[in-house]
This record gives sequence, structure tokens and C-alpha cells, in this order.
Amino acid sequence: MSPASAATTGAARVELDVNGSVADVRAGLSTTLLTVLRDDLHLTAAKRGCNQGVCGACTVEIDGVPMRACLSLAHGCVDRPVRTLEGMLETPRMQALQRAFAVSGAFQCGFCTPGVLVAAHALLASDPDPDEAAIRRALSGNLCRCTGYARIVAAVRSAASSLAAPANQASA
Amino acid sequence: MTAMPQGMLWPRTVQEATAMLADDPDAKALAGGATLVAMMNARVVEPHALVNLALIDELRGIRSEADGTIRIGAFTRHVETAGCALLRGTAEVVWQAAGKIANATVRNMGTIGGSISFADPGLDYPPAIVAADASIEIASVAQRRRVAAADFFVDWYTTALEPGEIVTAVILAPKAGGASYVKHARVASDYATASAAVCIEGRGTVRAVIGSCGPTPIRDDAADALLSGDRSDAAIASAGALLEARADPLDDVRGSAEYRRLLIPRLLLRAIRQAETSIAA
Repeated sequence: MSPASAATTGAARVELDVNGSVADVRAGLSTTLLTVLRDDLHLTAAKRGCNQGVCGACTVEIDGVPMRACLSLAHGCVDRPVRTLEGMLETPRMQALQRAFAVSGAFQCGFCTPGVLVAAHALLASDPDPDEAAIRRALSGNLCRCTGYARIVAAVRSAASSLAAPANQASA
Repeated sequence: MTAMPQGMLWPRTVQEATAMLADDPDAKALAGGATLVAMMNARVVEPHALVNLALIDELRGIRSEADGTIRIGAFTRHVETAGCALLRGTAEVVWQAAGKIANATVRNMGTIGGSISFADPGLDYPPAIVAADASIEIASVAQRRRVAAADFFVDWYTTALEPGEIVTAVILAPKAGGASYVKHARVASDYATASAAVCIEGRGTVRAVIGSCGPTPIRDDAADALLSGDRSDAAIASAGALLEARADPLDDVRGSAEYRRLLIPRLLLRAIRQAETSIAA
């Protein structure tokens, strides 16, 4: 096979660890993790916004830290656990964040929301009581084109407070 | 005849990686992906083979060497450099720049080797490593060599890397003193509209570098000589004019060329005053 045809037809098997399960898919060399998540595994929380790593709508956890699914090649994610928003739904932190976002109305169109939630989930793991500046720093890679930042920041603060409340101490 | 290797290749050593790149001139070295994959998504490059540097232990992490230098492996991600307590004195300029790259998520991915090899003039590392007078260690299948950071950046998106070569480390020789990296950007996560990187050694020797105002980081021997003897506002204005005379900024969405020229002396002043504070601290 010539190199040129390999670029277009060279899909190869790749085994990924997504949300704790083995995903066995075929992907070309240039196929991103985001494409595999959305088109093959139908995990559509991560969104394809800019596809350039700028907007943050595709943020997922790889190796336990937030990364861009659109800048991660599927074949580069072998032996690196991937966790998407769908894999975080049962954690007390994500449930507190989702409640706070709903109560605060921290979204308009909602396209950026999954990426914001993944980034905020990681923030609250490393800093359970972030101030506004820390929240803004942690979310600086997540663009909201509806510009609803004030409510997003307030919702993350509110989730942190609810997790710190005595009733949640056991499960947080 | 064996087929050309295709797909994702996983060398375990620099020797294996450079041999793979030598065997296949169209293969690309992949580090954190923050720039190469973005270019692949835009179809600017469509490699049929990628030499993934992620499993090469030698390229990872920051360590102090016996000779007092600090070695930042090429695959060290920005988040690690931004959190490294070894980067003090004049090396603090690199630490400060690392913490201002893009945003927290991209800093979890991008690497210093990948960043400087891309050599976008708007990046934060190039002016910082030139101000720190860093050396870049480069490997090919045949040899290792070192070039000064100031000689590594050759032109727009062009470095001293020859085909088949990769960056293996950025080597710093920190001196007692202070440093500052000042970035002026539209929003925190953007590329710099313009930036200033300044290192002041204990005895007052200054290295001042301007970023994002031309094809490569801007330095001027006369400006550094002037600032090394006199850091008054007037001397900084004169040095700023010398640096501005070497600038070749573009008009783009981040600012006009004229605006960038106006920023140069102002960012220089701010960076020098901040570097002085870090000496006192």
C-alpha cells in the first residue's frame, strides 16, 4: 500500500478504556478520540466545537486529568483511561454540579455545558472550596458563546458549598 | 522489500525514535498533540505515520544536573513546568511563561518540546527561553547537538531542526537574580498580542526579549548593555526603542502592527519592574 492510500484507508483496530469498559473500534491514524466517542461509541456529551483545542466543548478526562478529546488521537489513547461526562454522572461532585447548574440556570444553549462540567468536576476534586478567581482560572479553557459566565461561576461555587454542607459530608 | 511503517509508532528510546524518523521522511514526531493534532484536524498536515514520543522515559520530567543546570525533558507538559520548584532565579522566567500558556486543560496536554518545535511567534516559551539563555538539545539518529535558544528560532514557524531531528531537552543554567514574563493578550487563554521576558542577574546583567512582534523573539545587544547599567525609566524607554526598531509585527486579529510597536516599551517597563520585585522577594 502506498503512503497516500494509507492516509485515507488505513483504519486499524484500537482498544480503548472508556468509562471503565473496553471499547474495541477501528480508527484511522488521524481519527481523534472525539470522533470515536461520538460516532462509534455514541457518547455525545463531548461536543465538537472548534476542533482546534480552543473552545473546550470536547473536554474529557484522560489519565485522570481534563484534556481535549479533539486534540487526542484515538491511537494515542491506548493504555490511557478515558472518562467522559457520561462516566461521571454517579459521583457526588457531578450530581452537585448538575443540581447547581439547573437551579442557577447556568446555561443558555447548553453546547458548552458538558465541557464546563468536566472541567469543574476536576477543579472540585483538587480544590473543594475554590474562590471565584480559582473557578475562572480552571474554566478559562471553556468558551460559552452565549456569554453566561457569571451564572456558570456562581453554580460551581454553589456546588462546592452544597458538597461542604454537613448533610453531604458522608457522601462527598 | 518491507513496507514503510504506517500508523502510530511507539519508540522506547530516542535512538529508536530518530531511527524511525530517518527511515521515513514523511513521518512526524508526536508529543502532546496540542499543535500537531490541531494542524491535522485542519488538514495542514496529513502524516501516514506518527512517531509517538510518549513512552520515552528520557524525555520526561525536570531534573537538576550535577553541573548546576536544569534539564527540562522535551515531553514535559506545561502543567509540570508551571509547578516546578526548581525554576528559580533567572529560570523563573520559564516557570512564569509555562503558567500563562493557553488554559489549564491545554497545559495538561502540551509539551515544551512540541511547543518550541512549532515555533509560532505568538507562543509564550520562545521569548522566555531566549531571555533565560537556554540551550536546546537536539537529537538525530547520528548525533546529539546543542544550539542556543536565540539560534533555534530561525523564521516564522521555522527552527534550526533538520529533517529527522527532534528536540530532546531544554537546558537552563539559572543564575541568582530575578525574572519576569509579561504577556499581553485579549483574554487569558489567547496567544500573546505581544510579550516581554526579562532576566536580571544578581550583578545587574539584563537580558530582555520581546515576543509576538516578528518572526522570532527579539533581542538587542545594545538594549541589554544599556539596561545592564541603568534601569531608570528613561533608559528603559531608550532600550524599548532599540527593540522596537528590530520588530517586524503583523496586523492581525489580535492587534495592529502599530499597536504592537506601542506595546513594546510599555511591556518592557512592566517586565523589568516585576523582575526587580522578584529579586527583592
